[in-house]
Amino acid sequence: MDTQNNKPSAGKFWTWFNPVGRDAGGWAFILNRITALGLTFYLFLHLVILGQLAKGPQGYDSFIKLMSSPFWIAGELLVVAAAFLHGLNGIRIILTTFGVSVTRQKQLFYGLMVIALIAILIFGFHMFSA
Amino acid sequence: MSTNIQSVSTPRSGEGTWLWLLKIVTGILLVVLLFIHLLVNHFLSQHGLMTYADVVAYYQNPIIPVMEVCLLAAVVFHSLTGLRGIILDLKPAFTFLKVVDAILVTIGLVAVVYGIWLVSVIASRG
Repeated sequence: MDTQNNKPSAGKFWTWFNPVGRDAGGWAFILNRITALGLTFYLFLHLVILGQLAKGPQGYDSFIKLMSSPFWIAGELLVVAAAFLHGLNGIRIILTTFGVSVTRQKQLFYGLMVIALIAILIFGFHMFSA
Repeated sequence: MSTNIQSVSTPRSGEGTWLWLLKIVTGILLVVLLFIHLLVNHFLSQHGLMTYADVVAYYQNPIIPVMEVCLLAAVVFHSLTGLRGIILDLKPAFTFLKVVDAILVTIGLVAVVYGIWLVSVIASRG
């Protein structure tokens, strides 16, 4: 079922994200693809918004003030979380591409996700304690 | 194919070995640069770069603009080749893919040129 969900195919976009009947590899795939799309969207949003810096202190500082509400900090934490999940899952992909830990991918995946969770918690506590 | 987790990354059909390899190389680079980026922006002087003045001061170290432009080029390349990979998974027609390629190259070049401009503006405000 997993491999069916992940198979490249025209018009099967939504089946990539179907959570039913997935093993570790299926979850790694779903997680990587969702965070990839989210991070790409954020990247270009980030670039456009940083244009505020060119307008000088008034524009930028008032924007940062606007973003310090818990709602936007939660949004920012979502971006940080996506970066850690995608980056650490990417380490698994890099290692296995070069033949490291190929037969222990499941353990590697779970271990990296635990590290991601710890990193997300540390950033979360820090960001909300400002 | 029954044990999907055992499979390793290989170029998709239509992806090209160089794009695939560069996506991995930029991936490695991003793990390092993005980690520095996140630490600086959230932890430098307690809560990171929170004001315009903080950002300008940070950019006075000449390594920083160079590092940020490298990060930008790597992340733009990685995200756009990744997006192309997702589009490849939808089995697009060849002519459609060529249009997609032209759009992605344009977006990438504009983003990097814009980034270099913005970084120079900030660095020169010190």
